[in-house]
Amino acid sequence: MTPAEFFADHTFRMVLFGTSVIGLVAGALGSFAYLRKQSLISDVISHAALPGTLGAFLFTVLVLGADGRSMIALLTGAVLVGTISVLFANHVARVSKIRIDTAMAITLTIFFGAGMLLMRIITDRPFPGKGGIQDYLFGNASVITYADLVTSIGVGGLALVLMVVFWKEFALRTFDADHASVLGFGARTIDALMFGTIVIATIIGLKAVGLVLMVAFVVTPPAAARQWTRTLPGMVTLSGLIGAAGSGIGAYLSIVLGDVPTGPLIVLTLFGFFVLSVLLAPGRSIVTRALERARARRRLKAELSAP
Amino acid sequence: MSFLLGTVLLAVVTAMACALPGVFVVLRRNSMLVDAISHAVLPGIVVGYFFTRSLDSPLLILGAALAGLVVVLGSEYLSRTGLLTGDAPQGLIFPALFSAGVIMVTLNFANVHLDTHAVLVGDLNLAAFHQLQIGGVLAGPSYLYVMLAVLVVNGVFLAVCYRRLKISTFDPGFARSLGLRPGALNTAFMFLVSVTVTAAFHAAGAILVIALVVVPPATAYLLTGRLPMMIGLTLAIAAGGALAGFWLAYLADAATSAGMAVFYGLVFAAVFTATRLRQRLRARRESAPAAAA
Amino acid sequence: MPLADDGGPAARVTNLSVAYRTTPVLRRVDLDVPRGVVMGVVGPNGAGKSSLIKAMLGLVPPLAGEVEFFGRPLAKVRRRVGYMPQSATVDWDFPTTVRDVVTMGTYGGLGWFRRPGRPEHERAEEAMAQTGIDALAGRQIGELSGGQRQRVFLARALVQAPDLYFMDEPFQGVDAKSQQAIVAVLHLLREQGRTVVIVHHDLATVRDYCDHVTLLNQRVIASGPVAEAFTKEHIRSAYEVAAGDDFLEFTA
Repeated sequence: MTPAEFFADHTFRMVLFGTSVIGLVAGALGSFAYLRKQSLISDVISHAALPGTLGAFLFTVLVLGADGRSMIALLTGAVLVGTISVLFANHVARVSKIRIDTAMAITLTIFFGAGMLLMRIITDRPFPGKGGIQDYLFGNASVITYADLVTSIGVGGLALVLMVVFWKEFALRTFDADHASVLGFGARTIDALMFGTIVIATIIGLKAVGLVLMVAFVVTPPAAARQWTRTLPGMVTLSGLIGAAGSGIGAYLSIVLGDVPTGPLIVLTLFGFFVLSVLLAPGRSIVTRALERARARRRLKAELSAP
Repeated sequence: MSFLLGTVLLAVVTAMACALPGVFVVLRRNSMLVDAISHAVLPGIVVGYFFTRSLDSPLLILGAALAGLVVVLGSEYLSRTGLLTGDAPQGLIFPALFSAGVIMVTLNFANVHLDTHAVLVGDLNLAAFHQLQIGGVLAGPSYLYVMLAVLVVNGVFLAVCYRRLKISTFDPGFARSLGLRPGALNTAFMFLVSVTVTAAFHAAGAILVIALVVVPPATAYLLTGRLPMMIGLTLAIAAGGALAGFWLAYLADAATSAGMAVFYGLVFAAVFTATRLRQRLRARRESAPAAAA
Repeated sequence: MPLADDGGPAARVTNLSVAYRTTPVLRRVDLDVPRGVVMGVVGPNGAGKSSLIKAMLGLVPPLAGEVEFFGRPLAKVRRRVGYMPQSATVDWDFPTTVRDVVTMGTYGGLGWFRRPGRPEHERAEEAMAQTGIDALAGRQIGELSGGQRQRVFLARALVQAPDLYFMDEPFQGVDAKSQQAIVAVLHLLREQGRTVVIVHHDLATVRDYCDHVTLLNQRVIASGPVAEAFTKEHIRSAYEVAAGDDFLEFTA
C-alpha cells in the first residue's frame, strides 16, 4: 500500500489521526503522573471508567431516552467515575494504614467488577445502540468516527489548555509539594485540577485503545522522554511528540500488516521507543551510565590504592 | 458431586488459594505488582499452550508463571538503574507483554482459543466444566484439584517461610544482618504469587484475580494488628465472600468473579467506614485528657 | 555466653573504601575495635558513619578492603555479631506485637524448621524486663513512642546475645527515660565483657556513654580511648571548624 492510497481511505485517516491525538494528549499529561510518581493511577482510572461509561449509557438510554452512543455522555460518565476512583484511592491511603499501592489495586478491581456486572445487564437486554459497548475493554480503533475525532480533539485540547494555564502551579506542586500552597492556590485544588487532566488524558483513548492498554499511553512516553531531557517543558513536549509518533507509526503498521490489532501494536511501538531511550540516550541511559561508572570506579580505585 | 456444589467449592478454594499469599503481598506493598503479573501471564499462557496443548496442564501454569516473574524482575531491574521514578517501571513492562499476548491470540498463534472477554474476567463455570471421574464416580471439577494443589503449596510455603517472610517484610535490614537473603526469598515468593495468579486466571481472569489476592487481606489488615489473626480473618473473608459473591453473580447472571469482586468491595467499604468511625470516636474521647506521649 | 579464645580485637577493618555509585563515602579506613568496650563512631553528617557499619556487616558492597570479626570473616561468626538498624527502615504498621519483635532476635539461631520454644520465649521475656518494656509486651509495635520502640530493638539485640553489637543512632528521637534505660543496658553489656559500637552524633554525651571513640569524616581522624582520641584538635579536624570556635566549648 502506498502512502497515497493509505491517506485516501477515510477509515485509515481516522485511525491514524485519532490514535495520534490520543497519544499526544496522554503523553503530554502523563508527564505529570510520572513526576508525581503515580503513573499507575492511570491504570486505576481506565478500569474505574468502565462503570462510569456504562452507567452513563444506561442513564442516557433509560432516563433521557436518547441514543446511548453519544460520545459526550459516555465521556462525562467516565470522567466523573474516573475522578471518584482517584479521590477514593488517595483518600483510603491517606486516612488508613492501607498503603497507596493496595488502595489503587482495590479501587481498580472493585470498580471494574462493578463495571462487568453492569456490562452483563446491558448485553442481556435489547437496549438501542448497545453495539460496540464491548469495545471499551480492548478498544477498537477502526470504529473511530469523525465525530469521535472532533470530540477527542476538543476534550484533549481542553485538558492541554488547563495544563498551560496552570503550568506554574502544576510544576511547583510536582517538584516541591509543600511549597506549592504558598502560591495562594490550595494544594488540594491544584491536585484536583492535575488529576482531572490526567483522568481526561486517560479516558479519551478508552474506546479506541481499550481500558487495559491505556496505561501504556500514559506511562511509556514520559518514561522515554525523561531520558533525553532535563527540563519540564522539554519533557512534556517530547513526551507528547513520542506519544503521537508512536501511536501514528503503530496505527500505520497495524493497517499495513492487516490482521494485527491496533492498540497492542501501538503499545509495542511505544515500548520500542522506551527501550531505545533507556538504553542509548546520551547522558543518562543504561549504556552511557555503565561506561561512566566503570571509568569513575577505576579512577577512584587507583586514587585510593595510591600511597 | 453435583455441578453446582463442585463450582461453589471451586470458587471457595480459588479465593482462599489467592488470598493466602495476598497477606504478604499487601504487607510488602506489592499489590499493583499483582496487576502487572496477572496481565503479563497472558503471553505465557499462549506460548505454554503451544507446548502443552492443554489449558489445564500444570506445566503450562508453571511456564506461564515465568512470564509473571519477567515483570517482577524486570521492573526491579529498571528501578535499580535509577533512570526511572515512582511506579513507572511496573507500568512499562506489563502492557507490552499483554499486547504481545493479545496479538498472539488474535493471530491464532498455536490455535489457542481464548475468549478475549474471559481473559479479563475469567469464566468459573467453564473452568468447572471438565469433571473428574474416579472409578465412575463424579469427583467434582478437575480444576478444583488444581486449585486445591495451589492452596496446599501456598500453605506449605507460608508455614516453612513464615518467620523469614515476617522478618524480611518488617525489617529488611535486620533480616540481612542475620544472613538471610531477602532478595532470594522475594523472588521465590513472587514466583509463587505468579503461579497462583496463573492458576486462577481461568476462574477470575487478569483483572478480577487482583480482587481475590488483595481485597480480603487488606480488609483483615484494617481489623487487626496481629499477623496470625490477619491470616485467619483473610481466609474467612475470602471463603465467605466467595460464597456470597457466587450468589450475587448468580442473581445478576454475571461472571462469578465479578460478583465476588463487588461483594469483597462492599465488605471492604463497610469495614473501612467502621474503623474510621471508631478512630473518630476514640480521638474525641482522648482529646479531653491531655495527650500523654 | 563464653567469649571465644581467639584473642585479638572484636573487629578489625583494613583499608576499607566504599563508594555509592561514583561518590566515595569512605576512604581507606583502618580501624580496630577492642573487646569489652563501648565505642562511639562520631562525625559530621555525611561522614560515612552508617556506611562504615553497613560495609562492615556486608550490607553495602565495599570498593576495597577487608573486615574481620574475632579474627575471622563475617560468614563464620555471624551469630556472634548483632545489628540494630536505624529505626527508619522498619515498617511500623506491620501487624506484630512487641513480644513478637523481641522474639525475632532468636530467629538467627533457629534453622528453617525449628520454631521458637520455651527457652526462646524465656529469653525474650528476660530481655523485655531488662529494657523495661515488659508491660508493653502485647502492644502492636506502631502504638509505641520513639523511645519505647528503640528499647524494643535493644531488647531484640539482647535476645540475640552476640559478643559484638552494632547500633545505628540508638538515641535518635528518644525521650530521657528511654535514653537512661539504653545507657544502663550498654554499660551492663560492657561489664559482661561484650563489645558495643554505636553511631552517635551528640558530642556532649560521648564522654558519658562511651569509653572508646572513633572520629570519622570519610577517613579515620582518630580512634582510641576517649581521653586520647576525643580531643579538641581531633574534633575540629573531623568537623572542619576553625580553631577558637566556641561550638566546642561544652565538649571539653
